[in-house]
Amino acid sequence: MIIRVALFIAISEVLLGLAKPGIVAQSFMSDSVFFIMGSLMIATALVKQNLDKRIALAIVSITGPRADRIILGLVVVSGLLASFIGEHTVAAMMMPVGVALIKYTHADWRKIRNLSIAILLSIAYGAMIAGAGTPSGGARNAIMLAYWQEMFDLRISYFEWITLAYPMLLISAPIIAFTLYRTFKPEVTDLSPAVVALKEKVAKSGKMSQKEWLTILIFLSTVLMWMTISDTIGLGITALIGVLLFLTMGIVKWEDLNNNVNWGTILIYGGAISLGIMMKRTGVAEWLSHSFLTWLEPTGIRSGLPLLAVMSFITILMATVMSSGATVGILGPITLNIASLSGTSIIAAGFITVISSSFCFLTAVASPACNIIYGSGYLKKSDFLKAGWKLILLSFIVIQLIAAGYWRLLGH
Amino acid sequence: MKVLMCTDGEDFAEDAIRFGGRLAKAMNADVSILHVRPPISPRNRVQLTTARKKLGEWNLEIPGVDSLIRAKEILTEIGLTKTAPLKEEKVSRAFRVDVHGATELHLIGLRGEMVRLRLREGHPVNEILEEADFGDYDLVIIGSRGHKGYSTHFVGSTALRVSDLAACSVLIAKNIKAENAFLLCTDGSRLAERAEIIGAEIAQKMGAKMTILSVAEEENDKEEAMQLTRRADMILSQSGVNAEQKTRVGRPSEEIIDEAKDHDIVVMGASGSSAVKKFFLGSTPLKVIEYGECPVLVIREKRGKISLQGTN
Repeated sequence: MIIRVALFIAISEVLLGLAKPGIVAQSFMSDSVFFIMGSLMIATALVKQNLDKRIALAIVSITGPRADRIILGLVVVSGLLASFIGEHTVAAMMMPVGVALIKYTHADWRKIRNLSIAILLSIAYGAMIAGAGTPSGGARNAIMLAYWQEMFDLRISYFEWITLAYPMLLISAPIIAFTLYRTFKPEVTDLSPAVVALKEKVAKSGKMSQKEWLTILIFLSTVLMWMTISDTIGLGITALIGVLLFLTMGIVKWEDLNNNVNWGTILIYGGAISLGIMMKRTGVAEWLSHSFLTWLEPTGIRSGLPLLAVMSFITILMATVMSSGATVGILGPITLNIASLSGTSIIAAGFITVISSSFCFLTAVASPACNIIYGSGYLKKSDFLKAGWKLILLSFIVIQLIAAGYWRLLGH
Repeated sequence: MKVLMCTDGEDFAEDAIRFGGRLAKAMNADVSILHVRPPISPRNRVQLTTARKKLGEWNLEIPGVDSLIRAKEILTEIGLTKTAPLKEEKVSRAFRVDVHGATELHLIGLRGEMVRLRLREGHPVNEILEEADFGDYDLVIIGSRGHKGYSTHFVGSTALRVSDLAACSVLIAKNIKAENAFLLCTDGSRLAERAEIIGAEIAQKMGAKMTILSVAEEENDKEEAMQLTRRADMILSQSGVNAEQKTRVGRPSEEIIDEAKDHDIVVMGASGSSAVKKFFLGSTPLKVIEYGECPVLVIREKRGKISLQGTN
């Protein structure tokens, strides 16, 4: 369905005379779309390796056998990984780790239901909240970068993004772990048998191969290039350099990329960016923003932090019922214009939209990470509600505090 | 006879399989066990497939297979199947996608009857109905948690909706005790008659005691109700089943639920009332399933076979 919308956007932009075909094509395949495509390919190359076992081993080696520390470890590691390679991939990589921990703890998972829920949700929520951590964490980030650049000629580097968005992840991780641990009080708090079994399992698969080291090396250099030279050559081109290296080194075959990358997504995000740009160009975004501000007038909210809180609230509502990418795609042009009309920081408005769009704690369908983890068959839809409402509330408060304190200190 | 049993891996579902297994064994039926796993948005299918492949690399069962293997073990305990214990790897490899969107594994039972393990993905009610339809099953057995009122609206609704919408007979298994005392409810309709014939067969095969119940809505109709029980008794005796006869006066669903307290399973014909009437008034079988405390076997003639004669 959504593919048809993307195609309709392209066709109608030309037929309604909003832009020349060449311009429309350009807005569909900008550097940001290259960046989305490249990031998806890199994630596929990483997931092809057996790194999940290494990661599992690393987690339990650091955390030890205590359930609360393992849950925190899962949130942090899922978060760290997802902030660079996206929540989809991390959920797919980490789900087996979670299932293994559950199975190795007790043969019948129903006897340790709470522990199972806490372990799996820590992966899903950790990956989900981290999507906004770096530009490569999710396609919606690339959309926001494109909006800033096309609408306001603002360029935010990969590194600047991290400094502004990462604190949210660092503060949220312990909050998520603690809330999950308290909400689903695990039946077993000592996971020693699981840790031993897991170590044995990984020991069987031998030492890390040359190929695995090479994978990590290429990935780290890509991230390094994103942080350093992407300002001049573009995030998209940098990502493509990484992909080219993966292909030339024989780490991933083109067939794998072809089969495992969701090509429709790329078209959809191309459409979203194009739509956003046209909303700005035709004045629709400004008109909507203006009406929104007029509508808010009686409440006394005109600019600054209260306005950001309202944006955050609306974004959370939208992201709960539709995908975060679509939420940012549609809301982005409006929130940025509202900020620009009201004299609020455009950067802060953009970040609050992107970050709030990852607060999809409540349902099993809203975020890809939750949806994939839900596919493990261990969770009920109602399990997402139990801790979800607390986490939405807490995350909302945390992001407002960050906006009021940290971002302000940095001058946004 | 072909029986479809559904499991979601919960305890009550396993009780239902144990119960259904004994029934299937007595009836010498072909058995399929179905697990429906939650639907996943097509956007995330690629990643979910990756996660499942990785589970395979870890030597862990893909989700849902667990429940099916557990169900198979229960059937083996009962003595329905006597297949050699399969190695874990072998099971996951033996699962193959078949044409109707299900993944399945075949086992040959003790008496040559078939046991199939099937895995589908989607909304439980839809998938169970679709599977029942494709497989041309005679009976669907589904467990229910057995709470009353508030929670049934959410938790037990899969069982309730399947029993309402299925084209074949449905056995809702909850609060299972034994299967020694059958309560056969008759209202003289053609489906009730069908229930009598099938009920008699099952009771005879399982060696159960049978009670026939007919409920008169008013005191004046009591004579008619007694006649119905006598007629049912005649049908039962043709199959060699002796039954106790009972009549009660009151609202059918309430009286049946009350009488059922002393019995292990209620057998009744599906409601013949129209969809509109069911919507406003509810139907007696549905009320017994929702508010009753014991397993209910709702007998239905398969769609298609019913068309020539029309419903009463």
